[in-house]
Amino acid sequence: MGVVMPLTSEKRKKIAASLGRGDSTDLALFVRTSQDDITGWDRNRIVDALLRETFIDPDTAERISLEIEETISSGKVKTVTGPLIREMVNAKLLEMGLEEARRMHTRLGVPLYDVDQLLVQHNKENANVPHGPEATNLTLAEGIKKEYALLHVFSPEVADAHLSGDIHLHDLGFIDRPYCSGQSLEYIKKYGLNLPHALSMAAPAKHAEVLLAHMIKFAAALQSHFAGAIGWDAVNLFYAPYLEELDDRGVKQLAQMLIFEFSQQAVARGGQAIFSDINIYWEVPKHFEDVPAIGPGGKYTGRTYAEYEKQAQRFAWALFEVYKEGDAAGRPFFFPKPLVHITEKFFQTEGHMDFLEHICEVAAEKGNTYFVFDRGETAKISECCRLSFKLEARDFEDAKEPWKMRYSALQNVTINLPRMAYQADGDDTKLFSLLTKKIELAVKAHEEKKKFIERLMSLGEGGPLSMLAMKLDGQTYLRLHRCSYLVGMVGLNELVKVHFGQELHDSDEAMKFGLKIIAHMNIVCNKLSEATGMKLVLEQTPAESTAYRFAKLDLAHYGEHAQEVVQGDGERGQIYYTNSTLYHVGAHMNPIQRVEREGLFHPLIEAGSITHVWLGEARPDKKALANFIINVFRHTQNDQIAFSPEFTSCLDCGKTSRGLQETCPYCQSGHVDGITRITGYFTKVSSWNKGKIGELHERYRNDNQFAGAR
Amino acid sequence: MTLFTKNDCRLCDQLKKKFDLDSLQVKVEVLDGNDAGALAHLAWHGLVETARKSLPLLVLDDSTSVADFSQIKQQLLDRAESRGGFRPQMTGPEPRCDSGSCAL
Repeated sequence: MGVVMPLTSEKRKKIAASLGRGDSTDLALFVRTSQDDITGWDRNRIVDALLRETFIDPDTAERISLEIEETISSGKVKTVTGPLIREMVNAKLLEMGLEEARRMHTRLGVPLYDVDQLLVQHNKENANVPHGPEATNLTLAEGIKKEYALLHVFSPEVADAHLSGDIHLHDLGFIDRPYCSGQSLEYIKKYGLNLPHALSMAAPAKHAEVLLAHMIKFAAALQSHFAGAIGWDAVNLFYAPYLEELDDRGVKQLAQMLIFEFSQQAVARGGQAIFSDINIYWEVPKHFEDVPAIGPGGKYTGRTYAEYEKQAQRFAWALFEVYKEGDAAGRPFFFPKPLVHITEKFFQTEGHMDFLEHICEVAAEKGNTYFVFDRGETAKISECCRLSFKLEARDFEDAKEPWKMRYSALQNVTINLPRMAYQADGDDTKLFSLLTKKIELAVKAHEEKKKFIERLMSLGEGGPLSMLAMKLDGQTYLRLHRCSYLVGMVGLNELVKVHFGQELHDSDEAMKFGLKIIAHMNIVCNKLSEATGMKLVLEQTPAESTAYRFAKLDLAHYGEHAQEVVQGDGERGQIYYTNSTLYHVGAHMNPIQRVEREGLFHPLIEAGSITHVWLGEARPDKKALANFIINVFRHTQNDQIAFSPEFTSCLDCGKTSRGLQETCPYCQSGHVDGITRITGYFTKVSSWNKGKIGELHERYRNDNQFAGAR
Repeated sequence: MTLFTKNDCRLCDQLKKKFDLDSLQVKVEVLDGNDAGALAHLAWHGLVETARKSLPLLVLDDSTSVADFSQIKQQLLDRAESRGGFRPQMTGPEPRCDSGSCAL
């Protein structure tokens, strides 16, 4: 903002005279300010604010203040509030055609009614946020930051595209943070718990339990610096040097502590459990084989990680024993999500079939296991609902000093695919051209967020992102130059239905057309990556609320087209678009067919994809499931799969039963809640938004479709 | 048959020069980073990851695929022969692709 010259008293008098007013007012009026104070009326505050916050000239500011004073004095009120005065000034700016000044002078806030509703009613935008005072704090703060982002961080073009539903800018309420983070335990093993502004500093852990405490606290600190998931690479391997002092009972106890600590973290940000992921390997991944192991006290043990295979396996096994048992009521743990990497080396490692059956049993019983397929030389860190950071040559170099392995996606922008089909009206050229334009818009949004985060990061350890700016290993914790920028998609199935006349599962031709859309997105992202120097990658958006939001907006704005296309129950408002590139959840397909077909998209979506197999009440045999996993690894392109059983939790007797039941089979109480996977994680069905409820009703359960199902 | 190729792929060029692919009714798909149709076709056959390691790739009429260069050459030679057409002479050492450009 330029330098503003204060008004001289002579000038003030002159303007006041022109409006037929004296220079000062003797209004007996009190103003309740935003600084928790009640002060006397002073119209110069209006002038000062206008000159400080906008580019208007002093004469205009003076004139506005006098007119506001006139309006207020004629109203005979005794007390006004700062926000009311600001809104009156804004109305005056609008009257005068000073739209840009009005925008700059905006007050961000929440209506009284909304706050009242919010304090009482559950916000269901994210099923991982429970209802409580911390959660309402989170929602209120998110609301203001979201408005700030749309007004001040993003250009009007990007903000309008979001508001109209062409694209969705994820986590706007967390505009001042990157999206998610994947890292290695080696960082805290080497540097201890040493956070900027912390009240105390802890040296590197000497015992497994202390390392666990550091991990949990570090994860909580990361949660307050990232919007989404906090993932950990090769957790069982990096714990291994600490496990030699423990017998099997001790290892099981540690596994139990780790899982309970993460799953009970609903006391962290906004009462929200940390969206945590632990990557697990049965084998020692090739890129860690020769890496010197860090052990107790942050010291090298003199051995490589290859020598810790058995300890790592002991921990992996124990973790899944805990998952299999579930919590005290037998319910599945919601977090941390265990992601087991299935690789060529997995199958060459002793005991792999026993372990595979063990984790398949957990998948069938509780659904926790994520199967991540790393074929050939591929290696990745996986987290969130399906996000993965595929390791490149420079990452394998970092793997030699694993504490350097810190990956982040800065933002996720999702494109509303069905809307483009409505707009293209059957014209291929127009459809692909629209798609290109929306991806360019998504990239513009990424550039704008990047610039904003760069500004915050430039403030260093004294700034708001102090933790991400810390440089314990010589480079900032958040390696901005290595960040990914995610471009997601929602409703490919509905785009194909509108443009091609069939859903993806209806014919090979429909599927081929869907592949062409995603191939085009892949190509455009690659080109724009080259042009911008940013790593732009496609991701299957989890779209927990976006699939609902897009469907609602399209029904409102493209009703004629959309009502034939949106999925779900329109009468109840339980509507949604099919997530990302998934087939319609209700399509009657056997699991292998779904995994195979959906998997054809996965190599084009480099930042992560998944196929969900909805189990319902089925409990497939562990051997059948193990064979299924081997087949998926050997014969498909699928990136990740997860099996999702359903449960009923009785809120009266506390028991857990299989399937989604109306009443508890143990005590017949109707006071029950369902539990199953919403997008990537398990949660209580009562916390789901309407769109997801609509999807849940339509999910095709793969009951009895695995050989040997019990 | 479909042969997946790339413009700056030396091995792909050799096949294009030696064989009259049109007359063999081999469809050539060029993965030049612009053609979504060609990339989608590759994905349909589940060959994106394979193509990231090496090109050319040949998809046979039964939808099986061949990635090994000498086997691709043999398949094309057999096809030429079965159609009674010109069987090109393929002498000399196997060409190599050391630049890394023979991949997607």
